[in-house]
Amino acid sequence: MTLNRVVLFLVFLLFIYKGFSQSNNFFYGSFESNGVYYEDSESTDYNKKFASNSYLNLKYNLNNKWVFDLQTESYIPKQLQNYSDLLEDTFISTFSIDFNTTNFNFTLGTLYEQFGSGILLRTWEDRQLGINNSLWGIRSSYNKDNLSFVLLGGYQKKANTISEGKVFGFDSEFVVYDDKNSFRNLILGLSYLGRLEAPHYVSYPFEDLTNSFSGRIDYNSNNFYMNYEYAYKTKDGVVKFNSVSETFVKNGNAHLINIGLIKDGLGLDFTFRRLENMGFYSERVEFGSPYFETTLNYLPALTKQHDYLLTNINVYQSQPNISFQDPSLMKAGEIGFQLDAYYNIKKETFIGGKYGTKISLNISKWNNLKGNYDYDNEDYDLDLLGFGEKYFSEQSLEIRKKWTNSFSNIILFVNRYYNKRFVEEKVGEINSKIIVFDNTFKLSGEKSTRFEIQHLFTEDDKKNWFGYGIEYNFNYNFSAYFNSIINYENEIENNPTYSNIGVSYSKNASKFMVSYGKQRGGLMCYGGVCRYVPEFKGLSFSIITSF
Amino acid sequence: MFKKLVFTLILAFYITEFNAQKLVPNIPLETFKGTYTTMNKELNEDNFYILSFWATWCVPCINELDALNEVYDELSKELKFKVYAISTDDSRTKRRVRPLVNGKSWKFDVLLDENHDLKRALNISGLPHTIITKQNQILHRRVGYAPGEELGLLDKLKEYDIE
Repeated sequence: MTLNRVVLFLVFLLFIYKGFSQSNNFFYGSFESNGVYYEDSESTDYNKKFASNSYLNLKYNLNNKWVFDLQTESYIPKQLQNYSDLLEDTFISTFSIDFNTTNFNFTLGTLYEQFGSGILLRTWEDRQLGINNSLWGIRSSYNKDNLSFVLLGGYQKKANTISEGKVFGFDSEFVVYDDKNSFRNLILGLSYLGRLEAPHYVSYPFEDLTNSFSGRIDYNSNNFYMNYEYAYKTKDGVVKFNSVSETFVKNGNAHLINIGLIKDGLGLDFTFRRLENMGFYSERVEFGSPYFETTLNYLPALTKQHDYLLTNINVYQSQPNISFQDPSLMKAGEIGFQLDAYYNIKKETFIGGKYGTKISLNISKWNNLKGNYDYDNEDYDLDLLGFGEKYFSEQSLEIRKKWTNSFSNIILFVNRYYNKRFVEEKVGEINSKIIVFDNTFKLSGEKSTRFEIQHLFTEDDKKNWFGYGIEYNFNYNFSAYFNSIINYENEIENNPTYSNIGVSYSKNASKFMVSYGKQRGGLMCYGGVCRYVPEFKGLSFSIITSF
Repeated sequence: MFKKLVFTLILAFYITEFNAQKLVPNIPLETFKGTYTTMNKELNEDNFYILSFWATWCVPCINELDALNEVYDELSKELKFKVYAISTDDSRTKRRVRPLVNGKSWKFDVLLDENHDLKRALNISGLPHTIITKQNQILHRRVGYAPGEELGLLDKLKEYDIE
C-alpha cells in the first residue's frame, strides 16, 4: 500500500469519526515542519538548495483503553543538513497499538522506554537532533502498589529501516519501605538488557549475546535524598574505525551516585558518575554514529545545560567509550562530579529587595579514567577512583532578579575549561570566561522587550566573541528578534559574524517561525547530546501545531 | 514528492480545524517521592488545573513559572485552580528539578515526565507548553511564553469560569 493510500484511509477514518463520534473516542495529533533554503553552505550538497523535515503524528483514542499511534515523516526534497542519509522521501516512521487498564499495559509496535536513569536503555525521539531510537517490538508492563515490572523485546529503528541486532530486557522496581505519614521511602530497582547480533565471518572471542545488568537503590525523604546505581556490561569487541576488533575485548561498567539536600528556599544536589566502556548499540558497527543510530542507552554529559548563544560554544560531551587514537590520546571512559545549588534570597530583605533574588550555582569537573594504558597491546588497567587527564570543568553562577514590576534581569557568569584534544580528538585546550546580561522590560499592555548582551573571553582557539540580541513582543502572540555573535579577534577566519533576524507567531497550540541569517557551524548540543553541524546561511521556517 | 508535502500540509490544517473535546491521557508520572501517580488520580477535583510543561534548562519556562508564582497567592483567592509544573527533564537534568523548585520556593505541585511519555501522548513539541484543563477535558493549549502572558492565561481561566 502506498503512503498516499494510507493517508487517504486516515482521512476517510476521520470522516467516519465525525459522523459517529462518542465522547471517549477522539483523534489527536501534531504536525511539525522545519525547512531551510540554503543560500550558502559549507556542505556543497546543500548550496543553493531547499530541504525540509516534516512530521505528522496521529493518534486515536478508543474508550480510553486503546491508543493507535502513527507517525509519518517526510524529507522533501531532501533531509536537512546533517540528518542521517537514510532519512529520505516520505515513510511511516512509527506505529503502535497500545492497550491500557489500570495496572496493565500492552504495546505492539513502536516502543519508547527507559530503564532507571537510562544507563542500559533509553529509547526516545528528539527531532532537533534527528534521534529516534525507538524499538519495534512488544512490551507489557504491570504496575501495582509497591511493584512495577516491564518486559520488552524487539528490533531497533534505524532511520527508515530496522537494526540487525535484537534487543530484549526487563526493568523492575519495588517500593521496599514507604512511610505514608511522613515523606520517607526506599525503592529498589533491577534491570536487564540483552543485545543479540548475528555472528560475523570470523569467530570472535566474545559472545553474539551481550548482557547488561543494573541495580539501583533510592532513598527519598522530606529534606534529603540519595541514590546509587551500578551497571555492568559483559565483554564485547571494541569498535575502531568502524570495525569490531577481534583482539581488543573489554567489559564495561558504570557507577552513579546522587545526593540531595532540600530546605525551603535552598536546594543542593551532588552527582558523581564513573563510566567505563559503556556505549551500547544494537548494531556494533554503528558505534559512534554521528546520527545516534541504534544507540541503546543514554549517557548524557552531566553539566549545566545552557540556553545562550555564547555559552553553547565548547560544550562538554560525555566520554563513555574506549578510544585509542595514538599513544598520547587513550581513553576508557570518564569520571567526575557535578554540584548544583539553588538559593532564594527572601523578599523584603537587604539583598533580596522587594521581589526576592534567585541564585543558582553549578560546578562540574570531568576527567579521563586514570590507569596504565598500553597502546601496543590494546589493553589497560584502571584505578577505580583515579582522575586522569582533565576533559572539562566549569563553574557558573546565575542571578535572577526582579527589580520593579516591569523590569527583571538575569546575570550569568561562566568559567570554563575545555580540552578539545581529549573531548573532540582534535587539537588544543580552551580556557574561557563568559558573561551574559539578559534584561526583560514589560511595556504597556501586552508589549514587552528583551535585550541581552554576552561576551566570551579567551586567549585560546578562536579568541574572543561578543554577542547581543533584542526581542520585541508586540503582543502575547507575535514577536520579532535579531541577534548577532561576532568572533571579533579571529583574524584567521576574518572575524566571522553570525546574525539572525526572525519573527514568530504563536496562537494556542501552534507556532510559526521564519528567520534569515547565518548559523555558526560546529557542535550543536541539545539535551546533553551533541552533533556537528556545518555552517550555513539561509532562510529557515518552522511550523509546529498540536491538535 | 512535492504533492505529498502539500497533501500532508492540507491534511494537517484540516485536522487543526477539527476541534473535538480531548482528554488528558491517563499516563503514569513520577512524583518527588520516586513513586508513580497517574493523571486521573491527580486531576480528580472539580477544579481548573494549569499544566505547565517545562525543563530546568528552558529559560522562558522558568520565567513563566516564576511569574505565575508571583501572582498565584493573589489569584487563588479569586479563583479555584491548581498548577502542576510538569518537568520534562530527562536523566541529564532531572536531579536538578527538586533542588531548583525548592530554591525558587514555587508553590506548585511538580511531576516528572522523564522519558516524555505524557509529553508525547499530548503531542507537545516545543516548550514551554501550557494546558488548561477541568474534569480531564482539555480547554485551552498554549505554546511559548511572552512576559506578562501569565495574566493572559489567568484571564482565560476567568473566561472559562464564567462559562
